[in-house]
Amino acid sequence: MNPLIDVQHINLSIPTGHVLQKRKTILHDISFQVEQGTSTAYLGTNGAGKTSTFRILCGLMKPDSGKLIFDGKTMPHGLPPKRFGFMPEQPYFYKNLTPQELLTGLGRLSGMDNNHIEKGVQYWAEKLHFSKVLKQRLSTCSKGQVQRVGLAQALIHQPDFILLDEPLSGLDPIGRACVRDVIHDEIKRGATLLFSSHILDDAEAICDQVIILKAGQTVFSGDIQSLLSSDDKWIIKASWDKQPSDIHQHGEVKQFIDGNYHIRGSSMHARNAIIQSILNTTGATLISVEAEKKTLEHAFVDLLQRDKGEETYASHH
Amino acid sequence: MQAITEIAKFTFSDAIRNKIFYGVFAFLILLFITAAALASVTMGRTELMISDLGLGSISILGNLMTIVIAIQALQQERESRTLYVLVTRLEQRWKYIAGKFIGLAAVLALQIILMCALLSLCITIFGNIFWQSYFQACLTTVLEIWLVLAVALLFAQSSSLFLAMLLTLAVDIAGRFTFTIRQLGEQSDNPVLQALTQAMYYVLPNLEAVNLRNQAGYITQYNWSQLVQILGYSISEIALLLCICSLIFQRKNLS
Repeated sequence: MNPLIDVQHINLSIPTGHVLQKRKTILHDISFQVEQGTSTAYLGTNGAGKTSTFRILCGLMKPDSGKLIFDGKTMPHGLPPKRFGFMPEQPYFYKNLTPQELLTGLGRLSGMDNNHIEKGVQYWAEKLHFSKVLKQRLSTCSKGQVQRVGLAQALIHQPDFILLDEPLSGLDPIGRACVRDVIHDEIKRGATLLFSSHILDDAEAICDQVIILKAGQTVFSGDIQSLLSSDDKWIIKASWDKQPSDIHQHGEVKQFIDGNYHIRGSSMHARNAIIQSILNTTGATLISVEAEKKTLEHAFVDLLQRDKGEETYASHH
Repeated sequence: MQAITEIAKFTFSDAIRNKIFYGVFAFLILLFITAAALASVTMGRTELMISDLGLGSISILGNLMTIVIAIQALQQERESRTLYVLVTRLEQRWKYIAGKFIGLAAVLALQIILMCALLSLCITIFGNIFWQSYFQACLTTVLEIWLVLAVALLFAQSSSLFLAMLLTLAVDIAGRFTFTIRQLGEQSDNPVLQALTQAMYYVLPNLEAVNLRNQAGYITQYNWSQLVQILGYSISEIALLLCICSLIFQRKNLS
């Protein structure tokens, strides 16, 4: 199956300084694909190049080299305007307009007719909980309300592809839950989603694919389950009166409030040695043995640190 | 056309509610106070003094407001990221420039018309008004403001807020002395200076050529040929400036 979006070897550099222009590399040989109907989290540390990638996709910036293919067609000037919805990071729009005026105008710009716009504005205002401020100036709306208006403008024309830059930042837990529900509904509708976020719990709850960037380079691109699957790490729960003597050699021991101990083994061999040690100790009881489940946050930090370690190793040799 | 209309509507609605008209009311109060003061010290033809002073003030105030409002509107749109939301919905970027110009031009024209209407009221209190020449003066003031607006949009696309304001102000001032600049060059023996002043004469918008304010209060009929010339010159100059502005904007990385 052809991917909906195919980004091939994109490089981007921007000029720095005023008189003597040097160039700073922002993106270095970025390639990834987004399959139709998937939800992909685009993650990376600050300055990794997430927003720049989004701007290239939208046609706001032109890459130095590389290709963007959408639905099988090469797009030299960004994605086709009527087929995607874009929410920039922390927008605050025209402060003297009301959400209704803004959404109506943007709906018209997206080629919608008045009847659909009217229904769409009401629908999204109710769904994203900003009906009360629909006819108030945006300057009087809270940051969270403006953020939700920002999401509504990206979705009002029912695009095939949705591009959201930090959609959950600045929202309270209820607002985040509401936006998460909306995103789930959009994926059910058949839309394809690419979003960036620093709130990795939310990203984990929303996405099924992950792309991780570091300093303008892709360090991971693929299924979230393959990223979260344990690379042979185990948690062994046990209780004892006297700690087995050799258990420290095989894993890290932590005592929990219920009095039980959790021992973390980093390989199958360590796991077996810990179990053996517990079974051989009088008064020690083995409670459970579980493969450790990583969170996206752990996987993200592990991946970037591992990458850092490899870089340090490479620089020393 | 729909895209240009929507952007123009956004621009107009946002600018019109932007406390912009407080400036007009402040001007009105100032005008009435000045008129009353003048009426008490001048001997006859008070209305002419009010007309000259008023139209001159409208021009200066209008020019300054144009520079500030136009450049600030574009900068704010970029900072608030509204620009991204608009541009990503457009097939061609020039429509954004066209919509922005029409929206701002409408706000500024409305402002100038209101100020001129208030001034005409003030003149009629103290004497007669020659409507034909007064109307010509008001119309050409609007055209002058639109020319400055096109210059402001051009600089706002290609430089920072402060620099754009400074450059537009410089062109605005120099645009009133293009004849003098060329004459200065012609009197010089230096061929480089001659070429430079000649180039400035053709490159800078000639704002003095669109000024019929001096005739207000003195001429009792329309000067149609001059009006058509001014209209033709203004429209072609604005179109040229907007084309350059669109070309820059089309190629620009919106980071």
